Formats: sequence, structure tokens, C-alpha cells
Amino acid sequence: MDIQKIAMDGLVAASMHKASYCDIRYEIITDEKLSYSDGDPDPIESSLSAGWAVRLLINGAWGFASTDDPAITIDKLTVRAAAIAKASAKVSQRPIELTPSPVESGEFISRYKKDPFTVPLTEKIAFLTGIDEAMASHADINSRSCFVSFRKLEKFFYSSEGSEQHQVLIQSGSGISMGISKSRRENYERSYPKAAGQYELKGYELLDELDFKKHIPQLADEIKQLTTATACPQKNATLVLAGNITSLVIHESIGHALELDRVFGMERNFSGISFATPDNLNHLQYGADIVNVSVDASADGALGSFGWDDEGVKSKKIPLIKNGILTDYLSSRDTAGRVNHVSTGNLRAEGWKNIPIVRMSNTILEPGDKSFADIIGEVEDGIYMDGPTSWSIDDLRKNFQFGCEIGWEIKNGKLADAVKNPTFSGCTTQFWNNCDAIGDKSQFVIQGTPNCGKGQPGQNARTGEGASTTRFLNIEVGVQS
Amino acid sequence: MINQSHAMEVLYRALKHSAADQTEAVLMSEKTDLTRFAESTINQNISQEETTLVITAVNEKKVGIATTNDLSNDGIKKAVESAVTISKLQKPDERFVSFPDKEMAPKLDKTVTVEANLDFTPADMAEVVLQAAKEAKVKNLTASGAFRHDINTVAVANSLGVEQFGRFGKSELSLTISGEGEQSGYGIAFSPDPSKIDYSTAIAKAVDIASRNINPIVLPDGQYTVILEPAAVGQLLLFLSFLGFGGRTMAQRRSFLSGKTGELITGEKISISDEADNPIFGTLLFDYEGVPKKRITPIKNGTAGEGAFDSYYANLMQTQPTGHSVQPNNGFGPYPKHMVMQPGDKTIEEMIASTEKGVLITHFWYINYLNPMRTMITGTTFDGTFLIENGQVGSAIKNMRTNQSILEAFSNAEMLSKERIVYPQYASLMQVPAMKINNFNLVQETKEEWEGSC
Repeated sequence: MDIQKIAMDGLVAASMHKASYCDIRYEIITDEKLSYSDGDPDPIESSLSAGWAVRLLINGAWGFASTDDPAITIDKLTVRAAAIAKASAKVSQRPIELTPSPVESGEFISRYKKDPFTVPLTEKIAFLTGIDEAMASHADINSRSCFVSFRKLEKFFYSSEGSEQHQVLIQSGSGISMGISKSRRENYERSYPKAAGQYELKGYELLDELDFKKHIPQLADEIKQLTTATACPQKNATLVLAGNITSLVIHESIGHALELDRVFGMERNFSGISFATPDNLNHLQYGADIVNVSVDASADGALGSFGWDDEGVKSKKIPLIKNGILTDYLSSRDTAGRVNHVSTGNLRAEGWKNIPIVRMSNTILEPGDKSFADIIGEVEDGIYMDGPTSWSIDDLRKNFQFGCEIGWEIKNGKLADAVKNPTFSGCTTQFWNNCDAIGDKSQFVIQGTPNCGKGQPGQNARTGEGASTTRFLNIEVGVQS
Repeated sequence: MINQSHAMEVLYRALKHSAADQTEAVLMSEKTDLTRFAESTINQNISQEETTLVITAVNEKKVGIATTNDLSNDGIKKAVESAVTISKLQKPDERFVSFPDKEMAPKLDKTVTVEANLDFTPADMAEVVLQAAKEAKVKNLTASGAFRHDINTVAVANSLGVEQFGRFGKSELSLTISGEGEQSGYGIAFSPDPSKIDYSTAIAKAVDIASRNINPIVLPDGQYTVILEPAAVGQLLLFLSFLGFGGRTMAQRRSFLSGKTGELITGEKISISDEADNPIFGTLLFDYEGVPKKRITPIKNGTAGEGAFDSYYANLMQTQPTGHSVQPNNGFGPYPKHMVMQPGDKTIEEMIASTEKGVLITHFWYINYLNPMRTMITGTTFDGTFLIENGQVGSAIKNMRTNQSILEAFSNAEMLSKERIVYPQYASLMQVPAMKINNFNLVQETKEEWEGSC
């Protein structure tokens, strides 16, 4: 199949419909996942999905159509998209305008040492068997699971402005969970690196880097601590969060809050809106002076990285919060102009069949200068929490509540007894303004989130959230659970 | 859109290519037209279609799955070879017994309860959006939401001779009418046929709620008598079903139904069945293994009943499949997707009139598990929360957070409404009434000490 020729035919067809802009994507997505649950293998799944998408602008309104049906030619698909754009234009208060973006052509192949799709299945099965046996060797553990997951995403992008791009992204993920189930109502679980595992823009080498066997004894010990732990106390306390839970708070209370489509109400009925309205730009004290947050789709090895977004904008690093002040949003070409900015390159689709929408790529809380020992050592009375389990945030991305797998009380600068079902709640700007310490680079990890949901029909984005250990003052912990 | 003869030809071809002990082929085709709008403007308008073939091959209890959307002969052959190869390399799953046979999954003459409407266009959907925008504008409000119309085709065949084909439609209009600040109102409507969707009622309801949802007061933390409108009941029911109605959670003994058959587990007013053959849902009459869907009753008058099973978990639990298999290798296991909660004998107006002091909740936002073992969820009220005083709906209330056990809430159900709606959420449809519940936990979202700093 001559992908370039078909795409060019589509662009010509779009111009015949008087489209002021058109882009065409062809994508091939290959997935493989293997997992074990309680010592038994789950079915191994391998999948292949490929198809075309046409997005075009007519009379200032978008139309989008996608298909995997070879009987639907690119001309027919373009006709379908054009009819939809014309229907959209009937109900429009503001014609779409795109901010300028350089024409970009080229190729981006993500960096990896070992292509997971060249590794024999037998080797992957042996890897999981080894992990499963290591978990099973801990006598009290009576629930356990592990998985490996790989994706190859090949994208071709052509726009009416002249961009021609080819990308190949290799993503790998893996994780383990183990626990003790005493009864239906009494269940203790720990995961590594977190319940959803860790995903990165890397090859099979990620599995070695995660070094599961080193962490399994520690998880087993922590689960035993949970079986005798008391409930998390209900009080206002100094709260220290591990990087994996900090990353989720960043995702929910900063990443989503700064999606510019949400800010303009485009997700009001489904994913919600945002308290961080444009009148706050350049003066809202979003967090303390030490809080510096960037969007960076060029971060090496991070799950949310790519060469160009799904309207051809090159990946780059852009500050969102500088010394605590809100300075930018995550945007696309049709939203950035409304705040007089250029696109941050955050227009992304889950796959070929989906319309691209504003999504996070990698949202990075820049590391600070504190060692983990200092962050804990400076606390007289507080709580340290690890391993996200539960999250809920209101439609404005303002008030939230999170739960974790485990916590420890901090007494006189030292970790003390474990507490179970630890939770904390807060309000986004109050919470981030109470941040008084951020861990150094040695604790910094860009956590991969493989399943960020948004949009209708629902789309899963793969995002990254960079974080170290963080500390917050005067936070409400321990809601009833 | 793939037709029946083409779909079955793809499946037969797949089975022919396979030399596995047992092979199952499932073809799923979905065409989605969706018009999203915000600020009374259509901002996303799409048509997407995808047809996926899933091959499951089993050799000596070793299971391999391959999925493709390349339906050429070569594409089908490659997928089958991939599934067979995987199955040979995989470790055996001793719990696997067999795919269903023809006795368990007889071919159905009737394929769906309601025929899909293939003629609804993006222009028709735009007209509905235009009406919502116009009615909102009368009150100086704007409309946001989504009008979605899906046409789904499912075909199943396996090497034991099972074969089924069906097509169904699903349409929903979800609306948020909003004004300044947090002023908003919610409405929803469902029908298998988009031309029959009651959008006028949904629009009027959302406009009415938004018009009254102004100058909200703050309520202190506490346990309140609440009246949950049907959408809010549906949201709790969905999470309850995930936690306990499925065969997988029962096999893992994580379900609140496990070992409790016949015991009272929640309020006696609560009866929940699953009825895929009910025409209000207009859905397929067989599951993704080709097994006809049976009616089940997980909770009857508050007592624990039967769960939802596919063949795999039915074998594990030594029972019969109930026709609740979902898409192959979905990770959740079987669960009911067409639930019906029995109604009560009161109108919503009577429920409100009977309440001296309480809270009317339209629906919830961002529910998530807090403690699954206790059916404990967290979430906030949303798009219209109102104080009830002396039997009348009064001031709007600022959204509040709940941390609440669902089974405990249903135990405290004092009244259920006669009226029910079909509430769509994710892949599920639920026919649900409103519910009056005592001692429901609500706490302020924004604490007094945070005011001014957030």
C-alpha cells in the first residue's frame, strides 16, 4: 500500500470540499501482553490494528472520520468528514482558528536497546514465571499478579500545510502486586513500582531496570506490617508523599487542570472543567516558590514522549508553572490562540480511529534539593504515604481525595509504625502552596500512566508524570474508609 | 458496515485455518457517530468505525489470543497462526475446560430485540444540539454535552459448531446546561433508536435544574437523608455490580455475594436483576461466546442471589454459564450489563414531600473505590444538589463529597420511586428508580479553613 499517495489523494479531495485545513493519519498499532494471576497464566494476547483518519476544517468547523474498512476509499472517508464538518458549522458560536505552526517533515524513531517484538515469547514467559515464583516463595502471600506489556506504534502524518511525518514508538510496561487476603473485608496489598506498573518509551531492557526480585522481599515485609497496622489517624499533619503518589497528584491536579480545552469548557459534560481560568495566567500562585512544573514531550524514555503530536507540532519542553506561578497551559493549535500562545504540542489521539484532543504528554515537577533522609528527618510528627490506590477530584480539578496502599507515621524525624488505608484530601492551590520540600534528582522518576481516560468516545492516553518525594504542611489525612 | 454473510465468512475462514484443539472466533464491528458540543457550539463531530476479529486458540489447555482488524485472507490467517503459536508456547491453564458447545449455545433465530436505525445522520444530530442551545439561551445559559449513536455488530463461531450473529443500536444524549461559575444542570436520555430518543425532556430537565442551581449554600458535614435521582442510583449500582455481581469476583471470593446466597445483604426494598432481553435496552440476545443471555437476579428483596457467568467461571464455580461473557480477555470477567432495579410505589414528588430535612442529589462526579471490600466509594455530588426542607426543594447546595458504603446505603433505603429511567454509563445500561436513603455520609468539599487560599 502506497501510504503517501493515498494520503495525498485525501488532501486533494479535502481541497475539493473547500477545506481550509486537513490532516490525514495512518497508524499501525501492535500490542502484546502477558500476565499471571495467583500463579496461573492469563491468556497471552497479541493484537494488530491499523486504519485511516481524516480531520478537516470547513467553514470554521471540524469534521472527523476514521475507518479500517478497505472498501472505504480515502475519497469516501473525506466526503464523510466533510459532511460532518458542514453539520458542525450549523451550531457554531466561534469559527475555529489555528495558531501558526512550522511545517515539519521527518522521521522519529524512539530510542530502545532491545525491540520487545523480537524477543521470543518463551523468554517473556520465563521472565514472568521467575517473578511469579519469587513472589510465591513468601509463605504468607496468598494473592499475587504480574504482567509485561509491549506496544509498537507506527504513525504516518500528512497535512494540507505540507508536513509529512513518520514516527515509530516502542513502549514497554511491567509491574507486580502481591498481598494477603485474610477475609473478603480484610485484604492487604502492595505493588511495585505502583498498582498499574511502570511504562516507559523503551524496549525490553525496561524489565531488567525494574529489578523486581530485589523489591519482592521488601513488599512482602510491608504487607506483613499492614496486617498489624492501625488505621490512618484522622488529623491535619505534615504529609510526605512517595514519587509514585506525587505523580498521580500532579496528573490529576495540575496536568488535567491545565488542559486548555477543559479550561474553555469543552469537556464540561464529561471530563469536567478547570478552576485555572485564563484570567489566572501569569499571576495565579498555583504552588509554593519551589514548585516548578513543565510539559516535556521530548523527555528521553518517558511514556508520554513522541516526535510530533497528532497535528504535527514538534515535541518540546515548556514551563507551565514557574516558581509557583501559572505561566502556560497544555494546548493545541485550535485552543492556544485563545490565550495568545502557540500550541504546546499536546493534541493527541489514542489511535488511528480517534479524533485528537488536548492531552498530557509528560508533566514534570522539577526535582528539588532534598535527600529522602532530610525530607523525613525534618518532620517531628507526620505521615509518609506510598502506592496510589484511590483518587477522586471534582469537576473543577480543585478539591481532591487520594488513598494509598500503605503509610507510616513519622515521629521525631524517623519512620515509625505502619498505618493502613491512608488517605489525604486537599484543595489544589492550597495543597501545592503548602509544598515545603521536593526530593532531589536521585529520587526523580517519570512515572508512566498507560490509561489516562478522557473524551467521548473514551480515549486512553499514555502519559508521563515526573516526580520525586514531596512534603506538604498541614494536610488533612485519614478520612473514613 | 459488515453484513451477516461477510461476517460469518470471516469466522468460518478463521476456524478453517486453525489446527488447535479448540478455536473461537469473535467479530466485533462498531460504527460510532458522536456530536460533542460545549458553549453551545459543536466542538467535536466524528464518525468512526472499526471491525475487529479476535481469535482464541486452545491447545492442551494452553490459551492464546490474537486480535486483528486486517480481514483479508492473509490477515485472518496470520491472526490464527499467531493465536495458535502463542497457545503452544503458553503454560497450561488447568482451569480451562471447554468453549461452549451447541447445546449450551443454540443458534438463535431472533438476533436482536430492537433493529438498529442506520439512517440517522450528523445533520440530524446537529438539529438536536441546536434545540438544546436555543432552549439554554432563553435562560441566558449555554449547552454542553454529547449525542452519541452506535451501531454494533457481533458474530461468534467456534470449532464446536456454535454460531451467532446480531446487530443492535445504542443512542444517548448527555447534557450539561450551565451559566456563570458553578451554575449547572444535568439531563440524560437513552434509546436504542436515535430518532426515538426523548431529547426534549432531557433538555427541559437540564435547563430547569441549572436555572435553580444558583447561590448555593454550604451544608455542614454529617449524615443526611438524601433523595438520589435515578442517574445517581445508577452510578452506585454500576460500581456495586463491578464489585460483586461478576463470576470472576465470585470465583476469587472477593464478591459480597460469595457464600451468602439466601442471606440478607442489603435493604429488603432492593431487588436487582439483569435482563438483556428487555426491549428497553434493545441489545444482543447472546454473549461473546454465543451463549444466549439468561435473566439473573443477583439481589432479591435484599437477599443475595445468583451472579453472572461465562463458561470459564461457570466451570470454576461448577455452575452453568448465564450468557454474560464480555469481550475476550477483557480483564474484568463476566458481569451484568443490562441491570433492572425494581421500582417502589412512590412518585419522586411524594418522596420529597415526605422529607422534613434532606438533600436532593441529581448525580455524582468522579466516583472511585475507597475500600472495595466494604463496597466503599468516594465521589462528589454534581450538577444540581438541593436542600429539602419541610417537604419542599429549596436552596442549591455547594457540591459535597461522599465516602459511603453502597450496600449500607441501600440498606438504609426508605423509599424507591415508581418512575425509572434507562441510565447509560460506560458499557452498561441500567433501568433505575430514584431512592430515598437515610444516614447518607456527606462532607464539605472545600473546608472553611481553605477558603481564600483555594
